[in-house]
Amino acid sequence: MNELILIFISTLLVNNLVLSYFLGICPFLGVSGKIESSIGMGMAVTFVMTMATTISWLIYHLLLLKFDLIFLEYVAFILVIASLVQIVEMFIRKFSSSLYQSLGIYLPLITTNCAILGVALFMVTKKYEFFEAVIFGFSGGLGFSLVLLIMAGIREELNFADVPGNFKGAPITLITAGLLALIFMGFSGLVSS
Amino acid sequence: MDNILLAIIVLGSIGFCFSLILAFLGAKLKVEEDPRIKKLMEILPGLNCGACGFSGCRAFAEAAVKEKRTFKGCLPAGEKVNKEIGEVLGLKGPTHKPSELLICQCGAKKDEKKLSTEYIGPLTCRAAESIGGGLDCPYGCIGLGDCLKMCPAKAIYMEEGRIRIDQNKCINCGKCIEVCPRNLFVFIPRSQTANCYVACSNKDKTLLVKKVCEKGCIGCGLCTRVTESPYKLKDNLSRVEYEKISSAGPLIEGKNKCPTKCIFSIND
Repeated sequence: MNELILIFISTLLVNNLVLSYFLGICPFLGVSGKIESSIGMGMAVTFVMTMATTISWLIYHLLLLKFDLIFLEYVAFILVIASLVQIVEMFIRKFSSSLYQSLGIYLPLITTNCAILGVALFMVTKKYEFFEAVIFGFSGGLGFSLVLLIMAGIREELNFADVPGNFKGAPITLITAGLLALIFMGFSGLVSS
Repeated sequence: MDNILLAIIVLGSIGFCFSLILAFLGAKLKVEEDPRIKKLMEILPGLNCGACGFSGCRAFAEAAVKEKRTFKGCLPAGEKVNKEIGEVLGLKGPTHKPSELLICQCGAKKDEKKLSTEYIGPLTCRAAESIGGGLDCPYGCIGLGDCLKMCPAKAIYMEEGRIRIDQNKCINCGKCIEVCPRNLFVFIPRSQTANCYVACSNKDKTLLVKKVCEKGCIGCGLCTRVTESPYKLKDNLSRVEYEKISSAGPLIEGKNKCPTKCIFSIND
């Protein structure tokens, strides 16, 4: 149990996927304009990441290891992720067309969100057990949503700030992201991993 | 060899399982879209000009289908397309308001407007207006062309420092009205035989107007002293009252009487 909590905290804060592994930067910068859409995106990514890690673990251990086909892991994982994103897209389109429109191109782009494939591959290299892998995927997604939400909150306030002309748009966003990463570095030492 | 075959089988079966799930969910979660929206999208010009009051053609089509009315109608599209829109929605009666003529109420050319100071700064009318406009006349066209940049149909152009409008290109979206810091743009009805307008917005008295512009309306009222004159003086400024026009005669007569020649016909 201790082990699981440790994995949770470590993935959520200390080794945050976005701010310390630089994974999933594209949706992190792309969808963090509005709090509402960032929550939707965070939920979608959390769902896909948790499910992807779970199913990937099953496929990896029950099929690939058994038949000695480890070289197929990338293809198999991508297959899982792509299918899950399709499912999520269908659900969101059916039940919230406003969220569907605000996520736009970034929704299908979850497929190529490197954070998700990254989590699936980390799960293999770190040799996690089944429940550890599930928690790892879930906390990875939660960490992503957390950072996305913080960023969206800051950027909504930034709209009212008097930003110098040269820094408007992408530059100030990147600087904000850098400062956030700096802050998250403060969590290192919380859990030694 | 065995390895390759195994790889194909394993990956193939994983893929097959997922495709089955996807096909099942796809059928279950299908989103029905009104086919009329697609039909409308084919008919609409796709300019996304926003003249109808919606953010774009698609938003207009969705709202029109949902509420079964055409609101203002599609202004840039013209009568034929609007009729088709009405047919798709099953509506009878007029589906859009007739297009109007856009005029700019400052007709002074560059050398007719007096400049006693030089404006240095961002080249937009809004910025210039915030510090007085760099023009002696506090009502006239600043001439930095915010309206030119804003016009989605490229109907506005500059000629010798004065704003001209290509009436065939204008789509009546009214974006220039919003953007002009001096509120010089106005729509006038198209139905008249001879369309004249007073190309000046200066509300000052005669001497003050003469000081800043050669072509300003000095408020002399000569145009109002024609029989059945459609012109009316208000705040030292003459304006045409379009609803009072019965024939083209007095309109032209008043125009010819103007001492500063600031009454223009549409093609001037």
